[in-house]
Amino acid sequence: MTLWLVLAIAVGSAYGAGAHHSTVVNFDSSREITVEGTLTEVRWMNPHSRFRLGVKSADGRVEEWLVEMGAVNTMKRAGFPMDRFTVGDPLTVIGAAGRRDRAVLLREAILTDGTHLTPDMRPRTSGRETSGG
Amino acid sequence: MNRRAAIVLLAAGMALAGPSEISGQEPIEKNLGRPGRKGPEPPRGQPDFMEFNWIAGGGPTAWNEYEYTPEGMKRFAAYDFKVDDPAYRCVGSSWTRIYLNPNVLIHVTQGTDFVRLQYEWMDIDRRIPLSAPTGSNPRRVRIKGHPALGASAAWYEGDTLVIDTIDFAPGYVSTIAERAGMPQSPRMHTVERLRRDGDVLVIETTHLDAANYRTPVVSTVRYRKTDWDLMDYGCDPNEATVVSPR
Repeated sequence: MTLWLVLAIAVGSAYGAGAHHSTVVNFDSSREITVEGTLTEVRWMNPHSRFRLGVKSADGRVEEWLVEMGAVNTMKRAGFPMDRFTVGDPLTVIGAAGRRDRAVLLREAILTDGTHLTPDMRPRTSGRETSGG
Repeated sequence: MNRRAAIVLLAAGMALAGPSEISGQEPIEKNLGRPGRKGPEPPRGQPDFMEFNWIAGGGPTAWNEYEYTPEGMKRFAAYDFKVDDPAYRCVGSSWTRIYLNPNVLIHVTQGTDFVRLQYEWMDIDRRIPLSAPTGSNPRRVRIKGHPALGASAAWYEGDTLVIDTIDFAPGYVSTIAERAGMPQSPRMHTVERLRRDGDVLVIETTHLDAANYRTPVVSTVRYRKTDWDLMDYGCDPNEATVVSPR
């Protein structure tokens, strides 16, 4: 997969901004990026669920990205379909850029069949933070 | 105070914290995520109107205007979100911090001689014996494994539940957003006042800490009644510290 980043202007709404560690502190909600890769780890847990993605860079190397999400409790209550994520599957992630390298806070996951999923299972509005844990 | 000093102080506080008086309690209910369970009937003669499940998001959170001491400002400025947040170790840093967490539940049980607050966040289970409001030496309880949450006593003032807490290990009033790093010293005295306003639980927490603040710090957080049940949280420090790719 090719890594490509799309920087977008996002509205600075802070819905659900806090989490076990503050998502506003750890991620730049004004900078939205898109990351394409292959799932190498899927962890559903509290305070934050996570994916690891293997992402191919422009020079052909595969780099790991960390995709952070809300608490699994919150995602369960929202009805998030966790069984649709399997290690080895391609995945596109749109989210807030991490203040650490190669980290992103999930706002939207796009599956290979074109399904778009948000952590709270509601249609995404620009710039809204994902739910925390 | 630099970051290393803060960590040393925190570790010292954890080591000094006494054993919890809370033991042998029932486990937190684990009927995961199914709405609709009703709480038990409250005992007669108690202010029973809080005995529900509550979830964050009952209205806007408010803060008063507070002022740091020079030491408090120094500690606030020294906070490093990449390492200092006690939540990386699955540990609570202050009662306000706990109430600020979004999307988690609290279940309140009001007994004849105790009140029990079960917090979904970090599975914190807090059973406090009720004291006389005018008593000079109320019985206090700690939360095992959470020294920055102090020792709490509780009583009612009318229909308001008052929880008075002292003897804290160093912590942070908030680790969230622009208030991340607000310090808490062992001199902290915290008073939570919980009252029900219709389907909203209003939680006003006043922090008095002369080491770090010239004025009281007051946060007001609102929870709403919910049919969702508490879930097991199961925070694992080995996992909670994972915030970067390998």
